[in-house]
Amino acid sequence: MAETVKIKTRNLSFSYNGKRILRNTSIDFAENKIAAIVGPSGSGKSTFLLTLNRLWESIPNCNLEGRVEMKFGNTFHDIYQKKYPVTRLRRQVGMVFQAPNPLPMSIYKNVVFPLELAGRKDGEDARIMVEQCLKKVGLWGEVCDRLDTSALSLSGGQQQRLCIARAMMLQPEVLLLDEPTSSLDHKAAAAIEELLVDLKGQCTVLVVSHYLDQVQRIADSIVELQDGDMKGRSLVFAA
Amino acid sequence: MRKFVEKIVPLFSWMCGIVLLVAIAGVLGYLFLKGYRSLGLKLIFGTTPPLDAFLMRRPVFNGLFPAIVGTFSLVFLAICWAIPVGMAAGIYLAEYAQGKTKQILDLFFDVMAGLPSVVVGLFGFSVTVFLNRNLSGRIYPCLFISSIALAFLVLPYIIRTTQIALEGLPGSLRMTALALGASRLQNIVRVLLPQSLSGIISGVILAIGRCAEDTAVIMLTGVVASAGVPRSLLSPYEALPFYIYYISSQYVDQEELATGYGAAIILLFICLVLFGLAFLIKKRVNLYSLYRA
Amino acid sequence: MIRINEKTIEKFFFLSAFFSALVTCSIFAFLFVLGLPLFSGGRFFSIITQPWAPHLGHFGIYPMIAGTLAVSLLTMVVAFPLSLGCAILISVVDRGKMSWLLRKTVEMMTGVPTVIYGFVGIFLLVPLVREIFEAGSGMCVLSAVLMLTLLVSPTMILFFCDSFERVPRSYGDAVLAVGGTEIQKFLYVTLPHSWTGIVIGFTLSLGRALGDTLVALMIAGNAVQVPGSLFDSARTLTSHIALVFAADYNSMEFKAIFACGIFLYLFTTILVCAVRLVGGRRKMAG
Repeated sequence: MAETVKIKTRNLSFSYNGKRILRNTSIDFAENKIAAIVGPSGSGKSTFLLTLNRLWESIPNCNLEGRVEMKFGNTFHDIYQKKYPVTRLRRQVGMVFQAPNPLPMSIYKNVVFPLELAGRKDGEDARIMVEQCLKKVGLWGEVCDRLDTSALSLSGGQQQRLCIARAMMLQPEVLLLDEPTSSLDHKAAAAIEELLVDLKGQCTVLVVSHYLDQVQRIADSIVELQDGDMKGRSLVFAA
Repeated sequence: MRKFVEKIVPLFSWMCGIVLLVAIAGVLGYLFLKGYRSLGLKLIFGTTPPLDAFLMRRPVFNGLFPAIVGTFSLVFLAICWAIPVGMAAGIYLAEYAQGKTKQILDLFFDVMAGLPSVVVGLFGFSVTVFLNRNLSGRIYPCLFISSIALAFLVLPYIIRTTQIALEGLPGSLRMTALALGASRLQNIVRVLLPQSLSGIISGVILAIGRCAEDTAVIMLTGVVASAGVPRSLLSPYEALPFYIYYISSQYVDQEELATGYGAAIILLFICLVLFGLAFLIKKRVNLYSLYRA
Repeated sequence: MIRINEKTIEKFFFLSAFFSALVTCSIFAFLFVLGLPLFSGGRFFSIITQPWAPHLGHFGIYPMIAGTLAVSLLTMVVAFPLSLGCAILISVVDRGKMSWLLRKTVEMMTGVPTVIYGFVGIFLLVPLVREIFEAGSGMCVLSAVLMLTLLVSPTMILFFCDSFERVPRSYGDAVLAVGGTEIQKFLYVTLPHSWTGIVIGFTLSLGRALGDTLVALMIAGNAVQVPGSLFDSARTLTSHIALVFAADYNSMEFKAIFACGIFLYLFTTILVCAVRLVGGRRKMAG
């Protein structure tokens, strides 16, 4: 089965606080697959994700060279180009952080927030989309009767699923997840893994993980980050 | 020797604590004992019926009403000028400025915060003279000029509290909305400002207190001992702190002096309520905002 | 449409910051330009060294500089140990009722208007000084110093307490773990590690003592002379500005107050720079 490429990094170098994280790396990620990014802790896996949605620009003391291209529509776009609006990029590339980060608003407000930021109407359509996204992450049944309560009252696992639902609201083509299950218990983690596998058909998933068993269960490919080098590793553990 | 120091330090600290408490209790107690008798409607309204005073039907001659109105309008105007500019500059400093620009602006605002208020007052006066000569001969020291000068005085505090409140937010919160496609401004307005609001408000309240108590700036920019309720922005006005200063050197009889005590108690009350409010809103008020020159 | 708005608002942020910085500069520029007639013709140094005798054409502000330095430095001599003692009491010696009471009182004191210290100074402290020390009118350096001490101590105490609390707990725990007392922990660990905070608190308070107008104006006596003792009357730069202000605007006498303004500007700017050199704003920012 031929794979189409979604993301290409070309001669990408990145350093943060004087520490080299990527050196001259060129690597491709396949469309609508799950790629796991592994590596020793402190190797800069999480920071690497930030290069893909340009959030690195908001951290001080970092330096980036090279190019990243993503396929939106049928053409590749250089996402670091000035004329490619950063807000548009971040709507196309969703991100979920390691620690759940719901904003101090109601559950409903949290999920609908990205739509509001994009300046879209907060009408019946929005309600339907919120419901769909919450259903996708399996949270609808748990919160449908208390959408107006604060998102901070949810448990850690629920909060993380809420954050994924929020990231899904804009139907991103790429989803970046930074160790999304590391702060959750076993059961909540399993639910999120299942969710990622379900998402695979609709978007390209890059997940940073340090649980080898998790990687084996869900990933289609593995990228290892070590000493500034990034190597693709094929999966050999498939039965 | 070491043993001796270890013994003497606690003793010394108790002494200091008690001296300070006694001193401040002495100051405030004396003020209250001397002044509480003069408190009352007569202190504020003199012989004019309060309702007539409020409706401006009759002027108040021997009461503090004009001074209180003067102080309130002064503070209101000054804060109105200072808040938008101060908050905008604070936001710029925290969220936009980088590298050299930020360092230089930082230095300027530190210098400005350190300026003695009499220097700011002198500046306000110089600007008035400048305007009088070059723009219109009708411009004299007045309520408007004073409020602008006071706004300059508290501007650095408002800039700082805004900046510090924003910079104190965790990086993860800063990235949340950005990752969802928020623009820089959306992130500031929708997420960062609401989250740092308590810090900013407490800073603004402290700035109000500073405006209310300042004497040196207004002394040089238009306050007078007797002017009645200010009629317009361009008229001279009375203010509580200046009244207190004026009475202390110019009183003619004990009765007039008593109104000075009364005015001092009222001013003290206003300032302490404001400070209490600021501390209530934010448990630990930033030390920098307590500093005043 | 939205984009245009956003750019406009961001421009407003920048312009506000720029404007505020500009004010800082223009304050100095105004003082300098208006004081210029006094400095021109190589008279700059005579301003500093000459006495003040307008009728003789001498407009030196030397006595006022001396008065300002005497009052503010002496204030620090009294206020610094007092504040250090209070801070130690609050954060080390007593952790109970007294600590709470003193802390709350000190916080409250930061809100007391300056003019009130001056007012009570005239009617309570000045007569006391007059009676006890039999010192003329009682309006003297000592009275101003005592009242200014009350004015500048609170901020200093809070700064000191804050810098004590910033020393990492683990340092102090190491002392307690080997059987040291709280006082030993403070003297040998906390104090040496919090000197930057102490220097900053001291410097900022000195700035405030230098820049205060009302207390000195109301109770230091305002005689134009270099004070020779605690019981001499003195006039500070700030009081001088307030007192001469009533004079004719075009006179040289009046121009001299801009020289006072410039000196105050320079003094406080130097102090601010000193604070930044020691610890930067980060320390103050808390």
